[in-house]
Amino acid sequence: MDVLKDIFTIHLVLSALRLASPIALVALGETFSERVGIINVGVEGTAVLGALISALVAYFTGSPWIALIAAPIAGGLAGGLHALWCIRFRANHVVSGIGINILVAGLALFITSSVWGWRGTSTYSDTINTWYITGAALVIIIVSQIFLFRTKWGLRLRVVGEKPEAADTAGINVHRTRYIYTILNGVLCGLAGAFFFNSVGRFTSGMVGGRGFIGIAAMVIGNYTPVGALGAALLFGFIDALQMRLQSFIPSQFSIMLPYLLTVLVLAFFIRRANVPAALGKHYVKQ
Amino acid sequence: MPEFAVEMRGIVKRFPGVVANDGIDFALQRGEIHGLLGENGAGKTVLMSVLYGLYRPNAGEIFINGTPHKHYSPATAIGLGIGMVHQHFMLVPRLTVAENIMLGQEPTKSGVLLDRDAAVQRIEEFSRQYGLPIDPNARVNQLPVGAQQRVEIIKALYRGADTLILDEPTSVLTEQEVEHLKAALMKLKEEGKSTVLITHKLREAIGMCDRITVLRKGTVVGTVNANETDERELAEMMVGRDVVFTVRRSQATGEPEIALQAKDIEACDDRGLLTLKGVSFDLRKYEILGIAGVQGNGQAELAEVLTGLRPLRSGSISLDGLNLTGKTARDFIAAGISHIPADRQLRGLVMNFSLRENAILGQHRVRPFTLSRFWQSQRAITNHTRRIIEAFGVQAPNTTTLAQNLSGGNQQRLIVGREFSKEPCVIIASQPTRGLDVGGIEYVREQLLKMRDQGAAVLLISMDLDEILMVSDRIAVMYDGQIVAIKDPEETNRRELGELMLSGSPSHAAGYKS
Repeated sequence: MDVLKDIFTIHLVLSALRLASPIALVALGETFSERVGIINVGVEGTAVLGALISALVAYFTGSPWIALIAAPIAGGLAGGLHALWCIRFRANHVVSGIGINILVAGLALFITSSVWGWRGTSTYSDTINTWYITGAALVIIIVSQIFLFRTKWGLRLRVVGEKPEAADTAGINVHRTRYIYTILNGVLCGLAGAFFFNSVGRFTSGMVGGRGFIGIAAMVIGNYTPVGALGAALLFGFIDALQMRLQSFIPSQFSIMLPYLLTVLVLAFFIRRANVPAALGKHYVKQ
Repeated sequence: MPEFAVEMRGIVKRFPGVVANDGIDFALQRGEIHGLLGENGAGKTVLMSVLYGLYRPNAGEIFINGTPHKHYSPATAIGLGIGMVHQHFMLVPRLTVAENIMLGQEPTKSGVLLDRDAAVQRIEEFSRQYGLPIDPNARVNQLPVGAQQRVEIIKALYRGADTLILDEPTSVLTEQEVEHLKAALMKLKEEGKSTVLITHKLREAIGMCDRITVLRKGTVVGTVNANETDERELAEMMVGRDVVFTVRRSQATGEPEIALQAKDIEACDDRGLLTLKGVSFDLRKYEILGIAGVQGNGQAELAEVLTGLRPLRSGSISLDGLNLTGKTARDFIAAGISHIPADRQLRGLVMNFSLRENAILGQHRVRPFTLSRFWQSQRAITNHTRRIIEAFGVQAPNTTTLAQNLSGGNQQRLIVGREFSKEPCVIIASQPTRGLDVGGIEYVREQLLKMRDQGAAVLLISMDLDEILMVSDRIAVMYDGQIVAIKDPEETNRRELGELMLSGSPSHAAGYKS
């Protein structure tokens, strides 16, 4: 019992919430872009980019706050690139997303080795308290839930992902809507990346460690709603926090595996695919 | 207020390879119900899509309420009071009626939050005012099509439409729903709305409209007052009185044994409604049996049943004594039944496969294309494709070209080539010349006659009465899922067939009107 008391403390709950926030941000971003019909598996790379740009800007300006602004902007650019490929050039969404992941991985090696001289790592910089980002994430998610289901813009974006022809005939600009929310997805992923940088104080190439992909899983489990995404992210955050504590009791190789194992199990057994947008992954071509 | 709600002058709209609208003049008077009548592909929907801003015309002028407008979007058209109810509804099934209707013009509380109650209230007002009963809080996917159509009409009215375009509104409705729609349209007319009704059904055009404009092949044939015309005149306008009747080719000379026998076949359509209501006929060798009828009277289902694509509810099909009842499409192919499907891009070809692959579809399992059940003989496939290309005049750079890169006519030649080179004993040809140019049409008809002369039994399903009259040895008329008559083409005429097609009996149509 003492062991359990050591593990299940208020600190566990708080660190679960903290660790959930980047996953929730990615899941929220992906919710927006998939709701308009754009699949983006480049969220992992976009989060890496956010962390990398945070480290770079913090290193050159010395200000973690400027870095906090730069990361979502960089993420937004990556989202914009994905949107351009998928919408303007009608690329396959998944291929474009994988392209972003590979591109950022290469970029990270290039920038770290040319700026700091080490392949894949930066030096330490000043950081902000990550609770700011976690707090912001919670507010953004609540606002997004209202935005998506209680405002006219939310209705319009949902229609764009469900039936773009209907949106078009109602005078809604399908392509512009898709650009906006795909870029927003990038912005949120960039913010998630800033979280990873600030939680360590420097950039390392494996620091996101698949949490971007877990964010996509959280979006699916959350059934394409912001609050659902948060709930799923909390589950992953909790397992992540738990495994860190378990490392003192069981082999770390096993405990590190837990979040990923959970992803596979939850996706395999618990998903209700009720809200998958009907036009997801389909290009909209006007005559 | 100008006299015309809408005036379109000299509208030209081209698509790659097709002129859909070729200099069309169209005027819609305020407060009238104006029928836009024509066969499939006459350019009715394209013309109205141009008016609604979905297509940009290549030439022509559009006046809405007397002012000229150019290059506008649907959003602008909505703003100008034009509403369109598309044949395929533009509704999001998962959203509620209210959400669908308010989309694009949502009432809000303090400019941010959706005001659902206000929307529901307005919808209920429209619903009462125009006699279109609807529950604003229902989800669209729970509504029958008739109700969905009412949602679409209210959607247009909600957006302030004075001019309403309805594209084939009755094609999805039951008899009763059509009556309700008619009543609603009359109500709209009383309220001063102008309506364009796109249709290919003569009876409805006369029964519902004030004036009727007939289109044929992208041009206007004429505009008539509904109370001064009849179905016969409209049919002639639609199809064209100047059609040249080519003299029928010689009679075939073989022994006309029965090849395919259908007995009392019944089948349902995709919605589960009984569409074939007991069809029986014998299809003989050395003959072409033409199936005439207005689209939607069971012809499509008949073709599917006779090729094993659609299950029978009852009845039997046999070929040369071989019982095919309940067998699969594979068995039908093996028995020697070839199929030219009505939709060549959906069922005739795999559009992003090469000609080689398309050329062996249906025979891909058998020798000489597949050896020892596993290996495909690339050489046999290539040679076969080359033979088809040569013998059937397919214009293609090489055998590895993708089917989607061929013109419609060449795609059809490829299908005809594939199906006829199987040396079939029965050919089910569904609309084999639809969408082809004159040369292509002649070619396909000649091939059908050639197959007949070689002893094949051909079932020709066509919406084109001239085609039926030109090549058939016997003509069966389908009406409401039944064969109502079988005629000898030498002893019948367009008029008699037309009346049978429209009413199922020769006397009824003449007495209709009013």
